[in-house]
Formats: sequence, C-alpha cells, structure tokens
Amino acid sequence: MINTTILSWVTFVYFASFVFYLFRMILGREFWGKLATWTALAGLVAQSVALIIRWKTSYDLGMGHAPLSNFYESLIFFAWTIVLLYLLMEWRLKNRSIGVFVMPVAFLIMAYASIAPGINNRIEPLIPALQSNWLTSHVLTCFMGYAAFTVAFALGIMFFIKQAAGNDSSKSGAFIRRLPSEYQMDELMYSCAALGFIFLTLGIVTGSVWAHYAWGSYWSWDPKETWSLITWLVYAVMLHTRLVRGWRGRRMAIMAIVGFACVLFTYLGVNFLPSLHSYMT
Amino acid sequence: MTKNKSGIWSFFSSVQLAIVLLSLIAFFALIGTLVPQREAAAEVAGLISPGLFSLLDKMQFFDLYHSVWFFLLMGLLTVNLLICSLDRLPMAWRRFRMRPSSQNDDVFKDCPEENSIRARADMVQAANAAASLLKKRYRKFIRTNEADQVFLCADKGRFSLFGVYVVHLSILVLIAGVIIGSVFGMEAYVNITEGETVNAVNPRRGSQSLPLPFSVRCDKFTVELYESGAPKTFQSDLTFLKGNQIVQQGKLLVNHPIEIEGFRFYQASYGAVPGGKATLALLRADGRRDIINVGAGYAFELPGKEGTFNILRMEENLMKMGPAIKVVVRSKKEEVSFWVFQQIDKIKQTNPDIIQQVPIFNPGLFRPYTFTLVGLEEKYFTGLQVSRDPGTPVVAAAALLLICGLMMVLFSYSRQIWIRIDQKKEGVRICIAGRSYRNKTGLERELQYLIAELKDNLEKSK
Ligand code: HEM
Repeated sequence: MINTTILSWVTFVYFASFVFYLFRMILGREFWGKLATWTALAGLVAQSVALIIRWKTSYDLGMGHAPLSNFYESLIFFAWTIVLLYLLMEWRLKNRSIGVFVMPVAFLIMAYASIAPGINNRIEPLIPALQSNWLTSHVLTCFMGYAAFTVAFALGIMFFIKQAAGNDSSKSGAFIRRLPSEYQMDELMYSCAALGFIFLTLGIVTGSVWAHYAWGSYWSWDPKETWSLITWLVYAVMLHTRLVRGWRGRRMAIMAIVGFACVLFTYLGVNFLPSLHSYMT
Repeated sequence: MTKNKSGIWSFFSSVQLAIVLLSLIAFFALIGTLVPQREAAAEVAGLISPGLFSLLDKMQFFDLYHSVWFFLLMGLLTVNLLICSLDRLPMAWRRFRMRPSSQNDDVFKDCPEENSIRARADMVQAANAAASLLKKRYRKFIRTNEADQVFLCADKGRFSLFGVYVVHLSILVLIAGVIIGSVFGMEAYVNITEGETVNAVNPRRGSQSLPLPFSVRCDKFTVELYESGAPKTFQSDLTFLKGNQIVQQGKLLVNHPIEIEGFRFYQASYGAVPGGKATLALLRADGRRDIINVGAGYAFELPGKEGTFNILRMEENLMKMGPAIKVVVRSKKEEVSFWVFQQIDKIKQTNPDIIQQVPIFNPGLFRPYTFTLVGLEEKYFTGLQVSRDPGTPVVAAAALLLICGLMMVLFSYSRQIWIRIDQKKEGVRICIAGRSYRNKTGLERELQYLIAELKDNLEKSK
C-alpha cells in the first residue's frame, strides 16, 4: 500500500535529518542545521500525507477509523508527534541543538515499526469496543504527552553528556560547547515535563471516559491503566520536587529519565502482562 | 496566623510527606501489576506454601488496590493535601491582595540598581508617564499618591495563583467520588437468552445474586460480522418492565450503554445456546422418510405408531463432533436411548468403527427407524455488564476541575509590576519591581522593557 511505502521512506528522511543535525554540531556550520530542519519538516509533511491517505483508505475499505488503532499505527503516530513537537520547539526557541538527540528517537521508532517482526501494518477493522471517538482523543492526547516526555528525556541525556564532559568549556569539544547551557536545559526539561503532564492527565481522563462507556467502569486497575497512573505520579513527584524542594539540574535529569522509562513500560512493557489494552493479540 | 504550629500540623503540611506518599502509592501500584491480583492469585497458590499464601492473603496482598494499606495511603494523602492547602491558602490570599504602599514597600527593598532610573523630571510628570505605560501594557492599574511618593501597581493572571489549589481540591473531590462509588456502588453481570426475562444479576464480588427493582427482557439479539469473522457490531433489543408495565425500551450497543434508575447496562459479550428446537428426519427401512420439528422435553409419536420418543438433551458441539441431540424411544417392548449427530457421515469417514465401538452413537438403534439430525436451531444470549456507581458524577467533576486547574497552573502565570516614584532634590527616582511565581525569565524581560520605555519617554518629554 502506498501509505506504508511513504512511511518507510520517511524513516530514511528522519535518519538523514539526524545526520545533518550531527554535522551541524560537529562542523558548526549553520548550513547543516538549516538543511536538517528542512529535511525533518519534509519528513513530517510526507508522514502527515501518508497518515491522511491511510485514514482515507480505511474509509474506502468500509472500516472508517482514524489511523490510531493498532501497534503499528500507534508507533507511527508516536514518531509523528515527537517530530512535530520538536520542530515547534525549535521554531519557538530558535535553538537547533536538541535535534541531534530527538531525531534519532523518531528514526528508531519508525524503523522499529517498519522492520520489527510481528508488527502488522495492514489497516484492520475495529472490534466494537474500539469504535469510539473517545478512543481517538485518548490515543491523541496520550501520545502528545509521550512525545513531550520523550523530549524531556532527550534533554536529560544531553544534560548528563554535558556534565560528563566537565564544566571547563575551553577544553571540551565543539559538540559539547554547542549544547545549550545547563540552566537552559533544566528549564526546558521542566517545561516539557509540565506539558507532558497536562497531556497525560487528559489522556487518562479521556481513557476513563471511554472505559466508562465501553466497560461500565471508569477505572478497573488494568495493568496499562495502573502503569499510566504510576507514570503520572512520577511526573507529579518531579513537578513537586522542583517547585517546592528546589531540585534542579542533575536530579531533574534523573527524574526525566526515570519518567521516560515508565512511559516506555506503559507503552510496551505491559503488553507482556494480560490487559484489555493489548495491541499485540 | 499562629507562628508556632503543632508538630502534627507541620508534619501533615509538609511537601516531603506528599512526595513520600506519592512515591509509595506509585510503588504500591507497581507491585499490584507484578503480583497476580484477585482471581489470578490462584496461580501463585501453587508456587508457594499454603501457610505463606494464606498469610499473604490475610494481609490483602492479592487485592492490593482494595486493601487496608491502600486506603491508609489514600487517607494520609487526603489529610496531607487538606492540611497543606489550608496552611498555604492565607499566604496565597495575601499575595493575591498585595498592593504596595508606604507601609509595605519591602518589595522594593532589594531592587537592584539597574531596575531604577533617575531623571530630571517632576514627580507628577514621571508618574503620568509610568501610568500611561502601564495602561498600554496592562490596561488597568492602581495609583496611590502620597506626600513625596507615588505608587503604581498593575498585574495580570492574578487568578492563576489559585490554580494549584484547584488542582489539589480536584484530587480531594476525586478521592471522595471513589469512596462514594466503592461504598454505594456495585458491579454485576447477567446473561439473558433471546426472549427471556431476568430480574436479578450476579455481582462480581460475592456469590449471592442481586435482585433488581425491575425486570429486563432481551427481545432480540443481532450480531454483524466482518468478512474475517470478527464481530463488527452486536446489539440487544432490551425491554425493561415493572410488573407487566413497560418502563423503557432500547437498543443496547457496545459503547452505548442504557441507564435506568441509576443502573447502567453495558453490552459486554454474547454467545450461542441451543434454542430448544431441532429438525429430525426419520427414515424407515422401506424407504419412507418423515421430517419432524421437535422441541426439548416434549414427547412425539413415531410416524408408524410403534411408540413415542423424547428429546433428552441438545448439544451444539458434542465431543467436538458437531451438533447432536439425545433421543429416547419408548415402545411397549423396549426403551432405547441414543445420540443423533448432524454430521454422522463425516464422523463415520474419519472413524468408520465408531458405531460398533460406541453403540449409543448409532442412530438406527430403534428398528426400523434411522434418525438423522437435519438442523439445530440456535439462540443467542447477550452478556450484559450492570453497574451502579453514584460516585461517577463526582469523579467526572474532579476530572474537569483537575484539567482546568492544570491549565491555570501551567499555561498562565501571574505577574505583578510595581513602580515607586520618589521626589529627590535633583529630580525623581523611579524604582520598578515585579513578582512572578512562575516564569521568572519572562518577568526579567518585562522589567527591562518597561525601564527602557520609561527612560525613553522621560527623555523625549524633556
Ligand atoms: C496526586 C496528587 C497531587 C497532584 C496531581 C499535584 C499537582 C500539583 C501541581 C500540578 C503543582 C504545580 C506544579 C508547578 O507549578 O509546576 C503542585 C504544586 C504544589 N503541590 Fe501538589 N499535587 C498533588 C499532591 C500534593 C500534596 C499531597 C501536597 C501536600 C503537601 C502538595 C503540595 C503542593 C505544593 C505546596 C505545591 C506548590 C504550590 C505553590 O506554588 O505555592 N501536592 N501540585
């Protein structure tokens, strides 16, 4: 199908964008940065087109649902939100140095969706329980949240790399010098975590509404639900330790990484536990 | 405002406790996803000694989310939130109300030198310039004139100071809603065969069936399949009755529950049961063939009047060999019973000796007849989830509050700007101070902008 062909090309486009960001960091020429941004943007546009085609195809096949219904589609959408959020941030902050850490994540997710065994990229009909507009808003908000947490995680990693290189900027390499300052990274990490927290809250709420209509109870301690609560609590702790206890920098970076581990477990890990949400059946 | 608060108060108003409690709740939830809970706990029983199992069971280790421990944590969190909010609310109120005057000009105390301007202008002129600047940026401002000082004050997003309290209140409302639900609510299920009526349901917890204040009839059940065989939609046509009076009628679909008298009915599952009707073909040795429609429990006369037969059982899929019914034939001389399979030819193909080995599978056991099952009529039953949860509207309100509160906290910020103008011998001194509990960088930028504008204004007007 045409949409999956486009999507596998987008995987390479994101990889190219990552390489250009890397060149920019090493060579220091802004030309590479501009090229990387435009490449990522082109990938994002192509991916959006592919998603729309996929959406339309599902209507043509008589199933009619947003492309958010199975594991493959969720991975694709995850990568899409990450790139979208990153490009918005780059545009707002006028700073390209985060791209070299964010684009590889988007690339890896796309690559995993295309090549991992057992991932079905066909458009499939929905079982009755999934035929709900709440499902669409649930998936949409959850992945917006995940994307923001992913960027916070990338910033956390950057923070540690910068710290490991030492504070003496004259001695460290060009790459390290082009990273944002520790203060900036800390602020951004917090903004991303806060943004993600709002979206995750919306995701949990819309999920509960959906469960209320589909299963007759807004909360049933299903493993995926429980893990999203755990993730939510971890980020709540992160916000509190920063605001009230004044944690900064290194500790925030650790929280961002721990939080992201919870996100990954919520998304992938619980598929190994029995669950209503399992994509992998 | 008492300064020396008791130990308990300061314990419960501390945010450290909140952080510990939130982490503990997360940890608890994590354990609950690793250890099989409730019905699944039986898996563990085989792995550990019975003594240990019953000890853990007594400690509610296999029902963590409904255990005393979990409720205890929730209770502590509630008290923590309540005390912490009460403790801080007066301070937020003061921040909200704060207007500078000569009595409390401590906001200017550590006003750095770069945030003040000295200008050769008189006080009224400077005050007017500052006022028009604030009016342009903030629309509203407050001006206090004193003997040799003027105070100006403007702000935005004052209400976002209370966002945090809205968030914390929403958590309390949420907990209240959950408690209401767990005390007054119930969850149950019931299966209704097409055409049947029930007036009780089976609670998920406990074994006694629970009577409903009305009865429910399933008039019809329909299922539509995709080409792959997966269900596309299924629906039950339900009628709710009181006595013989119809109170409500409706179609129940997945994701579209029906609510009646506080009970909500959800379409959960479905299945097929033998409908109690079957079509039999009776072949006699001389080649005559009769078709008879039969129902379970009734007695039918054989076409040649040799005796009668009854249907004892009907199976959709007996021993994985397809539909079958058990027949007993009674005549004056004998009484024989045997199974009649629908797919007897296929069974004989795969297992030619079956009739010799299992005589009761021989449909020709009563001579001179050979029975054949032509078809078994199936009926669907609909699986309904029934729940009543008076806490749901409370929880929904909490969710709404939570989202509004978070928007207030994270997407808006409060900023207050104060300007003090002093008359000095050689001119005026203008101090600009500001406060923002979030977005400090934005505040810095704003102060710089205001100072630059004001300087510009005063220089121009000279
Ligand atoms: C699940 C429970 C909780 C949630 C979702 C929650 C959420 C929040 C949020 C979103 C903020 C604002 C953070 C920011 O501005 O970045 C905040 C601040 C705060 N929270 Fe909580 N919180 C919870 C529990 C608690 C508890 C139990 C306490 C008890 C002490 C507490 C005390 C505070 C305090 C003191 C602040 C700072 C308020 C200020 O800005 O003056 N929180 N909370």
